[in-house]
Amino acid sequence: MAIPVIMPKQGQSVETCIMGEWRKKVGDVVKVGDVLFSYETDKASFEEEAKTDGELLAIFFDEGDEVPVLVNVAVIGAKGESVEEFRPGAAASPATVAPAAASAPTPAVVAAQPAAPTPAQATQSAPAGELKISPRARAEAQSLGVAYQQLQGSGPQGRIIARDIEAAAQNARLTPLAAEKARTEGLMPAPDTTAIGGRTGAADLIIFNPVYGDDFEVKKLSNIRKLIAKSMHQSLQNSAQLTHHLSADARRIMALRKQFKKKLDAGDISQNVTINDLVCLAVIRALKKFPQVNTHFIGDSMRWFKKVHLGLAVDTDRGLMVPTVKNADDLSIEGLSSQLQSVALQCRKGSIDPELLKPEAASFTVSNLGNYGVEVFTPVINLPQSAILGVCTIIPRPKDLGDGIYGFVPMLGLSLTYNHQALDGGEATRFLKQIATEIETLEV
Amino acid sequence: MPKVQFIDPKDVRKAGEIKLKPIPVNQYQKTVKDELAAKNFTKEELVRIFHDMVVIREFETMLHLVKTTGGYNGVEYNNPGPAHLSAGQEAAAVGMAYTLNVDDFIFGSHRSHGEIIAKSLRAIQQLDDSALEKIMNEFWDGATVNVVKTVYKGKDVKELGIRFLLYGALAEIFARVTGFNKGLGGSMHTFFTPFGVYPNNAIVGGSGSIAVGAALYKKVNRKSGLVVANIGDGSMARGPVWEGLSFAAMDQFTKLWDGDMKGGLPVIINIMDNQYGMGGQTAGETMGYGIAALIGAGVNPDEMHTERVDGYNPLAVIDAYRRKKKLIEDKKGPVLLDVLTYRYSGHSPSDASSYRSKEEIEAWEQEDCIKGYALQLKDAGVATQEELDAITQKVKDILFETFKLAINDELSPRMDLQKDPELLGSMMFSGGSAEALSTAKPDVNHPISENPRVKQLATKERFAFDKDGKPFSKVKQYQLRDGLFEAIIDRFYKDASLVAYGEENRDWGGAFAVYRGLTEALPYHRLFNTPIAEAAIIGTAIGYAMCGGRVIPEIMYCDFLGCCGDEVFNQLPKWQAMSGNILKMPVVIRVSVGSKYGAQHSQDWTALPAHIPGLKVVFPATPYDAKGLMNSALQGTDPVVFFESQRIYDVGEQFHEGGVPEGYYEIPFGEPDIKRAGTDVTILSIGATLYRALKAADILNDKYGVSAEVIDARSLVPFNYEPVIASVKKTGRIVITGDATNRGSFMRDLASNITELAFDLLDGPPVVVGSRNWITPAHELEDAFFPQPEWIIDAIHEKILPLKGHVASANFTEPQQIRRSKLGV
Repeated sequence: MAIPVIMPKQGQSVETCIMGEWRKKVGDVVKVGDVLFSYETDKASFEEEAKTDGELLAIFFDEGDEVPVLVNVAVIGAKGESVEEFRPGAAASPATVAPAAASAPTPAVVAAQPAAPTPAQATQSAPAGELKISPRARAEAQSLGVAYQQLQGSGPQGRIIARDIEAAAQNARLTPLAAEKARTEGLMPAPDTTAIGGRTGAADLIIFNPVYGDDFEVKKLSNIRKLIAKSMHQSLQNSAQLTHHLSADARRIMALRKQFKKKLDAGDISQNVTINDLVCLAVIRALKKFPQVNTHFIGDSMRWFKKVHLGLAVDTDRGLMVPTVKNADDLSIEGLSSQLQSVALQCRKGSIDPELLKPEAASFTVSNLGNYGVEVFTPVINLPQSAILGVCTIIPRPKDLGDGIYGFVPMLGLSLTYNHQALDGGEATRFLKQIATEIETLEV
Repeated sequence: MPKVQFIDPKDVRKAGEIKLKPIPVNQYQKTVKDELAAKNFTKEELVRIFHDMVVIREFETMLHLVKTTGGYNGVEYNNPGPAHLSAGQEAAAVGMAYTLNVDDFIFGSHRSHGEIIAKSLRAIQQLDDSALEKIMNEFWDGATVNVVKTVYKGKDVKELGIRFLLYGALAEIFARVTGFNKGLGGSMHTFFTPFGVYPNNAIVGGSGSIAVGAALYKKVNRKSGLVVANIGDGSMARGPVWEGLSFAAMDQFTKLWDGDMKGGLPVIINIMDNQYGMGGQTAGETMGYGIAALIGAGVNPDEMHTERVDGYNPLAVIDAYRRKKKLIEDKKGPVLLDVLTYRYSGHSPSDASSYRSKEEIEAWEQEDCIKGYALQLKDAGVATQEELDAITQKVKDILFETFKLAINDELSPRMDLQKDPELLGSMMFSGGSAEALSTAKPDVNHPISENPRVKQLATKERFAFDKDGKPFSKVKQYQLRDGLFEAIIDRFYKDASLVAYGEENRDWGGAFAVYRGLTEALPYHRLFNTPIAEAAIIGTAIGYAMCGGRVIPEIMYCDFLGCCGDEVFNQLPKWQAMSGNILKMPVVIRVSVGSKYGAQHSQDWTALPAHIPGLKVVFPATPYDAKGLMNSALQGTDPVVFFESQRIYDVGEQFHEGGVPEGYYEIPFGEPDIKRAGTDVTILSIGATLYRALKAADILNDKYGVSAEVIDARSLVPFNYEPVIASVKKTGRIVITGDATNRGSFMRDLASNITELAFDLLDGPPVVVGSRNWITPAHELEDAFFPQPEWIIDAIHEKILPLKGHVASANFTEPQQIRRSKLGV
């Protein structure tokens, strides 16, 4: 009895996943626990293991396809068993491609001979003036199921002509990801396709440029990258951000760090408490004194959090992630240190709970670039949070040690970006100053 | 320009004078009594003349009453059609017909009821009963005579013949399907060839050249009989009539034609001189000849044996015909007769004769030809008044019965074009296929294999390229003109009836060397030069074909089509359908489209004949197509306007695999030919523009990666759209190109039909790339006038499919199109 493999549902809000790489191909014999394929949500990537032994009989989706969760993506069973009953209905998933077509030649993809005129990129923007379409194009649109009303014609006076419909139909031959990419980046399907069924995958998209032609490689944009791009852009578009910079005398936390290091080395404690952990502790303390900063700005109102849920920006191979440590204000320095390291590690492994990655999960975020020697920067707020603290490197600065004697003191740079919609400059400045004070006088 | 005729300057520059012979005027002064005494007529014959005149008078009177009172003898009828009546002219008509035999042909005008009746009555007299019965029973399979038989139960075949004649003519005038021409000819065109009555003609003077062509047919094909052209004095000003006279009187008939062909044409130009042309009085107002007989004096040294005859006296006309017929038999034609007569009615029933006095009409009525003749008959004791009255009464009775038959919708129905909407369409072309229209052995000078051109062609390369695809030199290539020659000489050796003529056909070999070699092959009477008289060239060809011959008239430049406009547009296309399909019209007009010679010698007028229903129109652009289409044209029985282009007489065959076949083959009319297959855009070309279309296709492919399918229309009428639609189905785009000026061109017709037929297949409008709507400028400026390959690309770019990186050289934008149209250029 053949068993379907479904696209798992990861997290409450996940509706679709992007199919990643297939580790097994049709015909392979698989055992329970073998990794079948990887997949991505908009937050993280995962691997799906086989839950039954048998032969991989069919694969219904290709890398890059957007697959609704709980939809059959493959079938495992005994050789020769029918898979048709498990094939997702065409209506349910327009991306469905018969695996049998995988090896078939693809006559439809003949568009771009080098000398052939390249049709203007069809765009979704509504053309100005009344719609012009040739009778042939109209008929083709009908038979190919292309919604021509949204196309920009490449014929005389913007008339939609057959090649526009054919190009649009060609785009329909793109995987959903490729189609999105082609649309947003103005790319063209390349003559050679790599995706299943002769379809054009995201990696097959190329841009014709008179200067460098196709002398480049198009690399697939990860879902996370896309998401980061989107949220960062939205952040700057949708809030009134500005950044204040200030330095804190780091001698106190450096001394604390030295003490913890000594204890760790001596085996008195197991947790490696870092400068960052200590800064985070100072931030939590400051937040308790400035609850108006520990907030979400949501347009006509604000969420004032009773607890501090601290977001920490983590650099991973897949890109920036901001996991949240819940109820961080309940934690001891060692507990806090432990939690922060744990979520960072999960992020780097890709096994973090997607719910913890949501911007809404944290009430305030710390982004530490001090390790890299960054002296000043302007972090971007993780909306709807009201502010974010950028932690910079420690720089020795001249300081009046008293009696006109100047010495070099290690100073920690702090950059607070706040949403001026939520906070005023005075509040933000006082809050930043409070962080510095906490750092300079930290008790653990 | 025969070399045998030496034009000696010493001779032609000598002083001298031209002496004209006296022209007889109304010399005949005898009476019935004199003729009876001289035993020139029997009593019966003399009474017969009276009878025939009365038939005409009553026939015309009946029509006059129908027209003016809406009925006849109290039976109402509305005849909306024309009626140009000839009451008053009976003696002229009966006198003209009296001496003619059945195999003598008459041609007429719009006012020819009298002549038809006179000639037919004469034929009925001459034919024996069995021959007459056969004619009547075979005509429309007896449909016409059977109507007559519903009222006439007598056994007198002659009377049946008279009733048949009157019914056939009247039913025709009333547009009944039982009429002589199925009701398609009507009053002004009715005729009946078995009685030697050939078409009347609604164009004034139309018969002036057509009848000459009929005489040419009789002469060349050794047929007995003469031909009479009954045309009015009003027609004597018309150019085509003068051209017909010039053609009829050519010196070559007596000076160059050989053997039994030597001698004048058997044709009598019979001026039915009723002294009015429309509202104009010819003598004294609109002409300058004084007496129309004078015209003959200027035509040839014989003065066309011209004389004026008193057409009010039938015996005077008969006397003249007896003398003139002898001249014709002695091969001394052509003859011109000015038969003086008078029409009582106006030009037509709508003409109130306001241009002439009542006194004048009354004076002529006083001397009425029938009344006067009746008096003479009584004087001579040939008949009593009672006998004459009895004749008149019988004629009236027959006519009244005939009238009632002809207006009876059941017995004499009209063609039902509602029930059978395609019926008339099916009659436009005869669509015959006949290797020869004569059973005679063709007159030729030598076996075809001995012809110098045929021998020369054997050495030519019948495909333009060698094995490696390299073109042979022009002189080695078998050219388009050779394809035409092969088809034409082949037919000359198959069909004895075939003749060809034009202004430079013999000795010269045609201005474009198509006929080089034909002079050697053919005697004069099959290939000859004509006067510069396009109207006569085509008009005579029509007459020649009407009588059953095949003919290739050539008018050289297409631009000269206007000179024979009436013949090409009004005569040639009409007669097959207008005769009820009795006539066939196997005329292949060769027309050459020029270039380099400016505004009056470089026009592609394909649209003009294509516009006129009843003509087939072809325009080949390759040697293979030229030969195949000419073979089809010469095998068929329909009129063909055969376009050629002076740009490409020398092209070799670049398309047909294996080259132009040596043997006979036909290319059916109406089939466009794909000269190059393609997938992205269709270019449909007419004529020589094909080669520029192919060049455009090259550029489209090399520069823009666009694959063009090039289709050569080859034929314009008929035209099968299916291959074009199939191509558009593939490409979705089409440009139509040709050398005609854009506006109103046949290209526009193609574009419009393609739009209708392939609307849902089209990815852009069918675009026409023709010449500018200008005069054709000098050769050095022609590139700005005729369509260029770049224009085709510009049109595609601007109107159909924008081409990446293309910079237009010509302006095909919509605002420019509108602007030019506003300006009429």
